[in-house]
Amino acid sequence: MQKRWWILIAAAFLGLAWARGDTLVIAQGVDATTLDPVNHQETPTGNVTANIFDNFYRRLPDGSYEPWLGEAKALDNLTWELKIKPGIKFHNGEELTAEVLKFNFDRLLDPKKPLKYSTYFKPIKKVEVTGKYTLKVYTEKPFPLFLTRLTYLWVVPKRYIEEKGADYFANHPVGTGPYKFVKWVKDQEIVLEANEAYWAGKPKVKRVVFRPIPEASSRVAELMTGGVDIITNLSPEAVPTVEGSGVAEVRSVPSIRNIFIVLNVKGEGPLNDPKVRLALNYAVDKEAIVQHVLGGFGVPVGCPLNPYMFGYDEALCKPFPYDPEKAKKLLAEAGYPNGFTFSMSAPSGRYLNDRQVAEAVVGQLKKIGVKVDLRIKEWSTYVKQILNRKLDTDAWLIGWGNAQFDADNTLFTLLYGGTVEGGPPQSKFSYWKDPEFDRYVLEAQQIVDQEKRKELYKKALERVRQGAPWIFLHQQKDIYGVAKRVKWQPRPDELLWAFDMELVK
Amino acid sequence: MVAWGAATLAFFLLYLSGDPVDLLLPLDASPEARAELRRAYGFDDPLYVQYGRYLWKLAHGDFGVSLRSQEPALGLVLGRMPATLELAGAGLLFALLLGIPAGVLAALKKGTFAELLVMTLALLGQSIPVYFLGLVLIMVFGLKLHWLPISGYGTIRHLILPTITVGTFVTASIARLTRNGVLQELRSDYVRTARAKGLSERVVVYKHALRNAAIPVVTIVGLQLGTLLSGAVITETIFAWPGMGRFVLLAVEQGDFPVVQASVIVFALLLALVNLAVDLAYLWLDPRVRYA
Repeated sequence: MQKRWWILIAAAFLGLAWARGDTLVIAQGVDATTLDPVNHQETPTGNVTANIFDNFYRRLPDGSYEPWLGEAKALDNLTWELKIKPGIKFHNGEELTAEVLKFNFDRLLDPKKPLKYSTYFKPIKKVEVTGKYTLKVYTEKPFPLFLTRLTYLWVVPKRYIEEKGADYFANHPVGTGPYKFVKWVKDQEIVLEANEAYWAGKPKVKRVVFRPIPEASSRVAELMTGGVDIITNLSPEAVPTVEGSGVAEVRSVPSIRNIFIVLNVKGEGPLNDPKVRLALNYAVDKEAIVQHVLGGFGVPVGCPLNPYMFGYDEALCKPFPYDPEKAKKLLAEAGYPNGFTFSMSAPSGRYLNDRQVAEAVVGQLKKIGVKVDLRIKEWSTYVKQILNRKLDTDAWLIGWGNAQFDADNTLFTLLYGGTVEGGPPQSKFSYWKDPEFDRYVLEAQQIVDQEKRKELYKKALERVRQGAPWIFLHQQKDIYGVAKRVKWQPRPDELLWAFDMELVK
Repeated sequence: MVAWGAATLAFFLLYLSGDPVDLLLPLDASPEARAELRRAYGFDDPLYVQYGRYLWKLAHGDFGVSLRSQEPALGLVLGRMPATLELAGAGLLFALLLGIPAGVLAALKKGTFAELLVMTLALLGQSIPVYFLGLVLIMVFGLKLHWLPISGYGTIRHLILPTITVGTFVTASIARLTRNGVLQELRSDYVRTARAKGLSERVVVYKHALRNAAIPVVTIVGLQLGTLLSGAVITETIFAWPGMGRFVLLAVEQGDFPVVQASVIVFALLLALVNLAVDLAYLWLDPRVRYA
């Protein structure tokens, strides 16, 4: 008995020592739900699978994409040709061929067993193998987002899944990526090991462990004692603690998420006047909010997009200057020299200091005589009200992530007013009707020529600037706590890709 | 009966919170995707149909499939039970080993500093929130002293801080009850008889007084197991302990109905079992119950 105790204690110490060696430990808030890379919806899950699998196109740190496992080319408005890099092998030795890629598309397009990523590939009609490494993809209508959607095509092995079944695969994944799957102990750890034969080069970090630690302060404590190397979602309040620890530091990156306030829910009253909405934009001091409420972890922005997104235009996205005098003048012109009152909803704890941001806006609007009745809402209730268009306030604060990195996802989904005859109905998030804007956005969905699309989005953004359907606030930053021994810069797509990382002494 | 009650409660409470599809899909999911998911899980059927189907499946041992991971809900919950039982068991053991001697000590040393100390600590232990205690322990033993791991599972060392966190409240309750019980018993006639017979004080206290004082303690232990299990929800979250409590909390947040339902039923059965164990303990402790 005595002996067994000592073995246990020795093992515990060994475990600690081993964690400090060649192994990089990443702590996220939750465990993965599956290790099937195209059947989940959570960033923490995607962070694990991104290390085991490769996507056909790869997202770059500036938000653009590049060919990765192969290349795609538009042959015409409805046909794409895909060429796979030859010689790429899965961890089990299976080769990546056109047949395998077709299996991937077919799996996603199978109407009987839809996967969570199926929706990204809906416009595809059929896929045809034309050679060992080439295939053709036919779409039902022009699919300008095809290339950006290829970053969602995490390629899985055909033979392995056919032999072992999808359930086994989801727990024992095999991919082509930089890391091989070792083990998954639910709610404890997922262990990955470097794929020395990785086709894009040998990974520098030998072993990667993902640990779910739900409590934010426990994550910080683990980081400070060297138990883990990277922690996600650090709160601005914890920044000084981490900075002062000596072993770790804070690294941040502007994220793909914008925070803004949607106006004019009821379509009547003062908020129905574009002049009033413009006045509100001038009355909010975005810079002050970013500095004092977010501790600097944000970037003011003056349009629905941000620099990572295709369609962004620097001139048209400059933040509205803080100019309360101009705001008052605009209000007077609109017939509200003494201000007015409106109501606003905001979530609490969903986005970086969201409630405090909303309160700051309320305080600033008060200075131009506009009173805001602020209602903080519990998230699940809030989501239901938004989705069912049953909001009980005139305005609402929300964040939008746009995982497509393309203006379409933001402009169409959030602002399309449904004014085009024969076109789709108004988007459920839109409380603005601008026929010109609607036309541009729809047109951009119908062509695959990216330069022309860019022009259309520029025109659309001009309409947004004039119509000011929202109070534009800021682009939020993602904050990480990182051990000093880790050489790595966070990415805008929140991905924790260990192939980018290196451990230094 | 217990299972049916718990199942029904779990079903209707969750139903009141609305269907979970809105939470399961990202905000920008298409209405078709939402409708499809609703259909796939049967959330578009009338309530009584859903309830009937749910009970029917339960009767056949089918707890449904997790909406998140697509795996059988019962398996997911049971897979996390050993860690929770381990934590609750360790917490209880800790509470008994510390609480009973402390209570006896306080009773025997009534009016001394020792009693004051035990009672003050017990008061503190009962009033300190689990959440706060866990964080303080992490700060002191993990962050400052580097003695113990802050989070995780696997070794005895990982068990220590969570055990103290989850067990402190129960320890305090047991200490206070034991003290009161022993004090009362020490004043009773049979103790005087025992002393008059010339039995040693040790035998009097441990064999006679404590055994009688144990009955309310056992009752409270039974009741406290519920506290222990609910304390486990918070403790598991703070210490990243891979148990049921933390798993259920996440399932509630994410609207994963089948998982929540399965765990409510499992929890209910677990508590029923504990109550049974308490009843059996009475039999052993008090012969009068046996013959009644």
